[in-house]
Amino acid sequence: MSYQFDFLAVARETPELAAGLARTVELTAVACVAGLLIGIIGAACRAWQIRPFNTLFAVYVEMFRNTPFLVQLFFLFFGLPTIGIEIAPDSAAMLAMVINLGAYAVEIIRSGIEATPKGQIEAAQALALKRWQIFLHVVLRPALLRVWPAMTSQVVIVMLGSAVCAQISTEELSYAASLIQSRNFRAFETYFVTAGLYLALALLLRQTLLRGGGRLLKRGRP
Amino acid sequence: MSLVNITGLHKHYGPNHVLKGVDLTVKQGDVVTLIGRSGSGKSTLLRTINGLESFDEGSITLAGQTIGSRDAKTLQQLRLQVGMVFQQFNLFPHLTVGENIMMSPRVVKGESPHVLREEAHALLAKVGLADKFDAWPDQLSGGQQQRVAIARALAMKPQVLLCDEITSALDPELVNEVLAVVRQLAQEGMTLIMVTHEMRFARDVSNHVVFMHQGKIHEAGHPSDLFSRPQTPELQNFVSAVM
Repeated sequence: MSYQFDFLAVARETPELAAGLARTVELTAVACVAGLLIGIIGAACRAWQIRPFNTLFAVYVEMFRNTPFLVQLFFLFFGLPTIGIEIAPDSAAMLAMVINLGAYAVEIIRSGIEATPKGQIEAAQALALKRWQIFLHVVLRPALLRVWPAMTSQVVIVMLGSAVCAQISTEELSYAASLIQSRNFRAFETYFVTAGLYLALALLLRQTLLRGGGRLLKRGRP
Repeated sequence: MSLVNITGLHKHYGPNHVLKGVDLTVKQGDVVTLIGRSGSGKSTLLRTINGLESFDEGSITLAGQTIGSRDAKTLQQLRLQVGMVFQQFNLFPHLTVGENIMMSPRVVKGESPHVLREEAHALLAKVGLADKFDAWPDQLSGGQQQRVAIARALAMKPQVLLCDEITSALDPELVNEVLAVVRQLAQEGMTLIMVTHEMRFARDVSNHVVFMHQGKIHEAGHPSDLFSRPQTPELQNFVSAVM
């Protein structure tokens, strides 16, 4: 094998990689926050059968959990302009990630809500709390704590999945990688480094969410 | 003056007729104990009084207000007057002891945190847990948790307190610390309706004992009469089995 590895060729493109990484982090952060919100609202509607939203959320969840992310993305970016809705690449990527994560979050959080012991609800009812107050003050935080590891995994999956957003020219990390290797023809080195960056980001994201989320949800409880 | 008035109460669980026409009157300051075998309907009866169980026929009035409607607003109005303590404590695990006590008055009545904090401290002192304000429920023993649950119910200033087998989940050595709190409440004039298996306690503390059998009130009266001179064979059997 006579190939000479040249990682310096990739190191020279650090600004490009950093910009891509920053965009990936940004997309993931927005998806995480918005997806969580959708998940909480959707899960509440599903668990407590609030009509007609429970049905709407059920349809939404099944639609987006049972179609490929790439197809969802292409539909938003290439499909919608046909009916007059133009979305910029970044917005389309963000929207697709939010919608996708939201669908999974609804189901994850719902399982946490449904694991609430009946006695907790009865105690809250006996204390004259209304339904939404019970949800907000009694059910929600323990439910999120219960499913937080699963939720964290899903955020990491969506972060990794964001690589396909390069297909609609969102300038995230994998887009930067493909641009760099088309300039320096160093595919091995470029994708090796890029994979390393995804790995580091995934591990960091998982740890941050698990620890930070856990601490926030537990508030010093042992 | 009667505070709780139950007449002709019927309830079915599918094919099971669990309450078969129950009449019960509870006056202000009464301490009423419901006794009977499991499945006799005593817990169900207790739970209808704050709407945790619905019923099919009959009526319940509380301080002149009729319950029976299933609409959320009426139920909530009712629950403002009726506190409840459960067998399994049911403290909120994500809130500290102090927060468990303050949460409902803050959220439901919008009372000021400052006042609530003082009241919560006073209530904790009353149940003998003055130093546990910042503790978490799972750091407490069962008996301590149950005393917090009593304080939490009292924080809403209910007119009646329902106690559903509140010592049944406790280790034997922890039973008395909970009963002592209930005894004190009774002496202070709190209206109590209790389901209990602690017959000695029922005899000492209550002024009216109701023996339930097969969904009906089989025999009722002052504890001294009821326990020493049970009239029906069912109660005679029950008393000789448990005392």
